[in-house]
Amino acid sequence: MKIAVLVSPAVHPVSGRPCAGEADLAALALAQRLPGELQVWYAGAADDAALADYLARGAGTIHSLNLSPDSDVLSALGSALQGVDMVLCGARSGGGDGSGLLPYQLAEQLGAALLPDVLDLSKSDRQWRAVQALPKGVRRTLQASLPLVASVNPRAATAPGWSYARLQQGKIRRKAATGAALAPVVLEPSRRARALVAASKVSGHARMQGAIAGGDAKAAGVVVKQGDSVEKAQVVLDYLRQHQLVDF
Amino acid sequence: MSFSLAHALTGLFWLGALLLLGGLARRASLWQQGHSASVSWLGLLAMPKRYFVDIHHVVAREPAVARAHVAAAGGGVAILLLSALNYGLMLYQGWLDVLLVLMAAVMLLGARMMQARRLQAPPRLSQGRWQVLPARLRLFALGSLLAAGLLFAGPQMGMAGQLIAVAALLMLALGGAELALGIGLGWPMKHAVAGLLHLAFHPRAERFAGKSSDLKPLNLAAGELGVAKVEDFAWNRLLSFDACVQCGKCEAACPAYAAGQPLNPKKLIQDMVAAQSRGTDPAYAGNPHPGREAAVVVKPGEDIVGSVLAAETLWSCTTCRACVENCPMLIEHVDTVVNLRRHVTLSRGEVPGKGSEALANLRNTDTVGGYPLAVRYHWAIDLDLPVLQPGDQTEWLLLAGEGAFDMRYQRALRALVKVLKAAGVKVAVLGAAERDCGDVARRLGDEAGFQRLAKANIATLAQYRFDRIVTPDPHVFHCLANEYPAFGGQFEVWHHSKLLEHLLARRAIPLKADATPLPPLTFHDPCYLGRYNDGFNAPRNVLKGIGIKVVDMQRSGRDARCCGWGGGAAFTDIPGQRRIPDMRMDDIRETGTGRVAVACPNCTAMLEGVVGERADVIELAELVAERLA
Ligand code: SF4
Ligand code: SF4
Repeated sequence: MKIAVLVSPAVHPVSGRPCAGEADLAALALAQRLPGELQVWYAGAADDAALADYLARGAGTIHSLNLSPDSDVLSALGSALQGVDMVLCGARSGGGDGSGLLPYQLAEQLGAALLPDVLDLSKSDRQWRAVQALPKGVRRTLQASLPLVASVNPRAATAPGWSYARLQQGKIRRKAATGAALAPVVLEPSRRARALVAASKVSGHARMQGAIAGGDAKAAGVVVKQGDSVEKAQVVLDYLRQHQLVDF
Repeated sequence: MSFSLAHALTGLFWLGALLLLGGLARRASLWQQGHSASVSWLGLLAMPKRYFVDIHHVVAREPAVARAHVAAAGGGVAILLLSALNYGLMLYQGWLDVLLVLMAAVMLLGARMMQARRLQAPPRLSQGRWQVLPARLRLFALGSLLAAGLLFAGPQMGMAGQLIAVAALLMLALGGAELALGIGLGWPMKHAVAGLLHLAFHPRAERFAGKSSDLKPLNLAAGELGVAKVEDFAWNRLLSFDACVQCGKCEAACPAYAAGQPLNPKKLIQDMVAAQSRGTDPAYAGNPHPGREAAVVVKPGEDIVGSVLAAETLWSCTTCRACVENCPMLIEHVDTVVNLRRHVTLSRGEVPGKGSEALANLRNTDTVGGYPLAVRYHWAIDLDLPVLQPGDQTEWLLLAGEGAFDMRYQRALRALVKVLKAAGVKVAVLGAAERDCGDVARRLGDEAGFQRLAKANIATLAQYRFDRIVTPDPHVFHCLANEYPAFGGQFEVWHHSKLLEHLLARRAIPLKADATPLPPLTFHDPCYLGRYNDGFNAPRNVLKGIGIKVVDMQRSGRDARCCGWGGGAAFTDIPGQRRIPDMRMDDIRETGTGRVAVACPNCTAMLEGVVGERADVIELAELVAERLA
């Protein structure tokens, strides 16, 4: 079985330097657990230093398709990955547009099934079974047969630790490639901004009064002015206990 | 009769000498597993000075043991020399026999003192063959005494004389076996031969010329990646392990051992001995790494870490140098710990705990904590501290270090700047151009990361003109002062304690005149200022200069206990029975002062991190700032 892992440099959130992307690393680590012949691919304009983290974390050899920064990687990757049984990549790259679209486009181009946001992959009979991560910790099992493309969740697996020796031994094999010009990106909010509406029109002072003034109101609170700090704290603690907000 | 006894002694002497030489050859073949090292044969000439001066500095701290050793070893060496003359060379002179009797008496006394000590051996001492060694040495001394005495006065003793002669020969053979076979079979007396050679070919020979505490750079371009197997040690490093007398002084001083973390420096050295001798030496009979088995399985050809030594042992070390400071055989534990770590980090990339995160942060942001460089001097925003631009000039360049990102330590930094300004010191900072010094990377074995940072910092510093660097961080201080020169960075670096001391001595700091007497406090010596750089007096003089009496802890100065941060130990965080800073806080409590002065951002963080009731932790500069007029 031929497995290809796609990696690309991420932008470090603090320093802005290129580094390995979490999801791509997880894809690499997941692929290393699978039986088969593993190839690591990159397409784009990054220099060696930007790919160094992947080498240091066990990529071995990276096949780089050298493209100019403004060209689309899709067609170059698509033709390079012909005949590959399984393509793994991070669910979303940590650099560039990070749109997460590439796995979908690639699956379409390769005529392969897509398993999105995968945490684990295992073989069952002829099929490959994937555990998919859904929001709020929900998991779902997906099944597909080869060839397939899986986009990998950043928490799927941990790549080997960063090692200088692996970096030194690692190789980047570069090949020139061409791609269509990238369509200009238009950024827009994923949801239309809604004007904020205040829940109540009462003034802040009035609401504070409602909260602390005694009397019949439900929200009424207690103002403790007497006693030392321990006694005051006791009142707070009693309140919390009464409302089962603490259990000691 | 005396004639034949003398010949028997000659035979015995040469037999012993042959056995010893054969043993030495065998041991040397073990040392030859290591790679070559540049050593000077002049070391052999320097040996006596190193023995009587440098070792004396260490052993004089335990005078009773030193006296016993002088008597036993001195007597023993004298016996051997005299026997070589009188019997080896077959001079058979009566007056040499008299000298022999005298020396044998001295050795007897020494061995007797050692035996007495063995009756109540402190737990740090190894048992096994070490426990019976004094008795064997006594036997040897007694045999020498009887034989020489007999030869001098004996011919007329007849039958009794013959019996005594036989007894003396037996004793000499039994006791002498200890001396003759020690080096070959790895018995205790191995230390005498290996120890002397170790003095001559010490892997850190420059320590005999002055302080030497810097880690040596790896030649990364030549593919050096630390020590994986025995063969990756230099031969004289292997020799140094054989010098160990298993006295356990390192064990008693080690904070990680006391905290119950799986590290016993003595056992670590013995593990190295086991690895190089492939387990042919007698089994180790001392305390194990806490929580671990004492027995080791040596698998020839396998990496040391993972077979003889557990990785956790390595990562427990705070590189505090307490072991090195206390070792009477001048063994360099920290070098070995770091050399082994280098392999684990550089080749395997297996740094535990938050260690790998710290290293990743250093790679990606040039700070340990992953902070933006631009915020390092935010605490000084209102202090009117000039930020140097390339080409600018200043008298003092302040490097705040990683402490600048810590809100607590920012108070100390502000206090320091306030004091320096009050004293009229012209000080400026690098602002966002300051990178981490690389200390954490280097101690965690990431030599590549350290060298990158060191070279980058040296290139940056070359763009500015300044007279001296001052830093409150002993780790920054140590790196710049002692470890950057290997990369071409020559700077005059002062720790802030020295600058404050200097300013106080010159009365440059305006202090309150009506000084109300201040309550005494205790001072915690940072390892990287104290043991690494002998900076014991400056901070104490500063405290004295502002009228505060220092009540020293029992373990202070050279014997100070580490706060637990050094060597990246706070990041790898290997679990033990207790935490090192908690133990240090106990030391502080014992003084009853309730306040402790510190002079390092990391000590500050570790000691303030002690939970429960604890002493106030105050930085040196803060104390001075409080006294400003
Ligand atoms: S290493 Fe040094 S201090 Fe430790 S046991 Fe051996 S001789 Fe003693
Ligand atoms: S340097 Fe300190 S922590 Fe490390 S072995 Fe020596 S005494 Fe123990």
